[in-house]
Amino acid sequence: MTGSPSAPDQLDLVPDGLLVGRAADGDTAAFEALARRHGPVMRASARRLTGSLTDADDVVQESLMQAWKQLDTVRNGDAVKGWLLRITGSRSIDHLRLRKNHSDLGDLDHKLEAGAGAAHRDHPEHAALSGSRMDALKAALAALPEEQRRCWVLKAFNDQSYEEIAQTLNISTASVRGRLARARITLAREMEDWR
Amino acid sequence: MSTPGDTLSCGHSLADLSEYLDTGQIGDPGHLAECPECQSGLASLRRLSALGSELLDADTAAAGSGTDDWMKAILGNLRLELRPGRSIPLRADTPGDVLTETEGSISALIRSVADSLPGTAAGKCRLHGDITEPGAPITVGVDLAVVYGHPLEQRAAELRWKLATTLARQTELNITAIDVTITDVLEPRMPDPQETP
Repeated sequence: MTGSPSAPDQLDLVPDGLLVGRAADGDTAAFEALARRHGPVMRASARRLTGSLTDADDVVQESLMQAWKQLDTVRNGDAVKGWLLRITGSRSIDHLRLRKNHSDLGDLDHKLEAGAGAAHRDHPEHAALSGSRMDALKAALAALPEEQRRCWVLKAFNDQSYEEIAQTLNISTASVRGRLARARITLAREMEDWR
Repeated sequence: MSTPGDTLSCGHSLADLSEYLDTGQIGDPGHLAECPECQSGLASLRRLSALGSELLDADTAAAGSGTDDWMKAILGNLRLELRPGRSIPLRADTPGDVLTETEGSISALIRSVADSLPGTAAGKCRLHGDITEPGAPITVGVDLAVVYGHPLEQRAAELRWKLATTLARQTELNITAIDVTITDVLEPRMPDPQETP
């Protein structure tokens, strides 16, 4: 059979916009194809934002649940990746707030290197290829003040606008601009040594 | 900016350059093009931005594939609630019985018909008209993707005909028109290795 996309795994070949239309009509197979396609980047973003592998999977699951319920609000189905990442960003930040409120264990606080290290142990060949430069960036990122790191990840990973980041973090766009600049200046200085 | 050294000797701050990177806007673009300090600051921020993309790619690769067990577990936990849509009344053989079918089941039927044609997949479908009123005139709209190389007109005509017969046989809707909109032409799949001579 030449390219009939009818079988469920063939849904993996059709564009986002089509899958969004189907999923909004109630086609769970189409929604699952979207989840398989964009799940990894959602997970990557949630891992950097929450600093926890377990929390990241909870965040991805909650984000997908919210996405399923709100799919009919997506105006441009081809931009669904950005929309999913916005939800992932918000859910990640919510998760961090809840964690802060419900635990006084204090040092649950961001150990991003832990997540990064674990991910790298699973992919040693990748670690070898990308080398210590990536490790240096991870370390520099982990050393940033929390609010700066959130701004940086929401920009660099989730590709959000200043306004969207401001909304997600519940701060002003001027604060986003300042924190993002400070994060970049620190990171850029750290990374100049690795050129 | 609180960090010392964030303002360049030309008067611009690294925060200005950071914003310029995102928005393309800065007070005096003419200065930017000619100022070596600003250029060097921008270059440094751009290198960081490239490193950020590299980290995102590495993290995404490390997150694993969407077909791996972690995603299967998440999808298994989701329990997506159904979207029944409107209720469509059906004729009852026994007076007093109230029979209905859901709009969602009609959408699913339309998708299955479209997906079964060679080289096509359904997108969104719509039932225009008051489907809750027996016999009311209903127009069907369906988006369709066709794999490159398949005849578009012919596929659309086939789909209209198949939908008309299927809906007439399996539903009591009074379908007055079926509009097929081809929204995507898909890249053909790479041929399976065993099919290659």
